Amino acid sequence: MNKINEKLSALYDGELNAAEVDELIDIISKEKSLQKQISIYSLIGAAVSQQSSNVIALDTKKNIKNAFSNIWFSNALTAAASVLLTLTFVNNVDFSRMDINTNSSKQISSAINSKEAKNTAEKSNEYLADHIMNIINDPNYMSSKTPLDLQNVGYKSNSDNGYIHSKGNESFQLRIEKKNFGIKQIRYWKHGNKMIYLVPLNDGRVLTLYGNISLSSALSIAESANK
Amino acid sequence: MKKNSDDIDSVLIEKAKNGNKGAFSILVNKYYPRVYATLFSFTKSKEDSEDLSQQTFIKVWQQLDSFRGDSAFFTWVYRVAINLAKNFVASSGYKKQKINTSIEQAEIDISSFEDIESVVIHKQSLKEIKSFINTLPESLKTAFTLREVEGRSYEDISVITDTPIGTVRSRIFRARESIIDFMQKELITNE
Repeated sequence: MNKINEKLSALYDGELNAAEVDELIDIISKEKSLQKQISIYSLIGAAVSQQSSNVIALDTKKNIKNAFSNIWFSNALTAAASVLLTLTFVNNVDFSRMDINTNSSKQISSAINSKEAKNTAEKSNEYLADHIMNIINDPNYMSSKTPLDLQNVGYKSNSDNGYIHSKGNESFQLRIEKKNFGIKQIRYWKHGNKMIYLVPLNDGRVLTLYGNISLSSALSIAESANK
Repeated sequence: MKKNSDDIDSVLIEKAKNGNKGAFSILVNKYYPRVYATLFSFTKSKEDSEDLSQQTFIKVWQQLDSFRGDSAFFTWVYRVAINLAKNFVASSGYKKQKINTSIEQAEIDISSFEDIESVVIHKQSLKEIKSFINTLPESLKTAFTLREVEGRSYEDISVITDTPIGTVRSRIFRARESIIDFMQKELITNE
C-alpha cells in the first residue's frame, strides 16, 4: 500500500510516466481512500505555501485541541482539512500561485476584504471564541441560576434541568457576562438546531441566549433586560 | 500551479474526455478543496459551499469536451465555480435569507458559527503544521520544501540535492505522510 501511496504522491506532483498513470488510475478508481489522499496532498501543498503575514491575526489563550475536541470534526480529517484550507484561502489575497486571472482575483479579493469580512475577523477575539466554545461544549456553562426574571415577557423558568426558560415552542438558557467581548451589535450563530444570540446590553454587559428561540424573541428579552 | 502538475492534468483531462471516470475523479479530488474554499468565501456557508462545489464538478464533467486547454484546468474550473456562486448570490433564496435577517429594532451583525471556529483553527493549525515541518529530518524537509514551496521538479531537486530521483520521490512522500500523521494525531483527534 505504501508503494501505491508513494506513486500517488508522485502522480499528484505530475512525476509519473504514462504507463504508471494508467495503472494508478485503475487502482484509485476502486479505492476511495486513495482519492481522498489526493485532496489532502492538495490541502497540505496549499497550506504550507501561504505567507503567514497575510493571515489574520487572532490570539487564542486556550489549547485549540481541547477547545474543539467535542466538535464535529473529531475524526474527520478531510472535513477539518477543508476548513483549514478554506481559511487559508479566505484570509489570503495572494492568488498568483493558483493561475487565476486578474479579474477573478479582484472579485475574490473584494469579497475577502469586504468591510463585513474584516469586521467579523476583527471583532472575533479570544474571549468571544472561548465563550462560544463553552456554550456548545460545556453543558453546565449555561445552566447557572438566571439573573433575570422573564415572567414579565411571558417565559416560565424551570430550574430542574439547568434553568431552562420556555414559552410555547421556544425554550432556551441564558447567562449574562460582565464583559462585552467588544461587540456593539447583536450577533448570532446557528449550531445544530439551536441558536446562540449575544446581545449587548445598555450597561456594557452581554446577554447570551442559547436554545430554540427566534431573533424577535431574543430582542424582546434584551429589551426587558435593559429596563 | 506547478508545470508538472499542469502536464498531468492534461493527461487526466484527455482520459476523462474519453470517458475515464477514474481520471476525472482524480481531478475532482485534487481541486475540490480549492473550489470549496473559493465558494465558501462567497457563501460563508458550509452546506451551500458543498452543494455548489458538487454542482461545479457536475458542470465541469458535462462541459469537459469544450475545454480546449487554452488556460490551466483549474482556471477553467474556477470560472465555472464563480459563475455558479454569482447565480447563487443573485438567487431568490439568498436574497430572502438576507431580508429575513434585516430587523429594524436592532442593527444586526450577520455572522455564522463557522466564521469563529474557522478563524481560530486557521492560525493555530497553520502555525503548528509549519512548526512540525521544521522538525522533519533535514533530507525530507529539503525535498518537500523545494517541491511544495518552490515548485521544483523531481529532476531539479535531484540535481540540487545530489540525490537519485527515486530517493527524492520517496522523501517527498515520506514528508507528506509525516505531516498527515501529525495532523491526525495532533490537530484533529481527541486527546
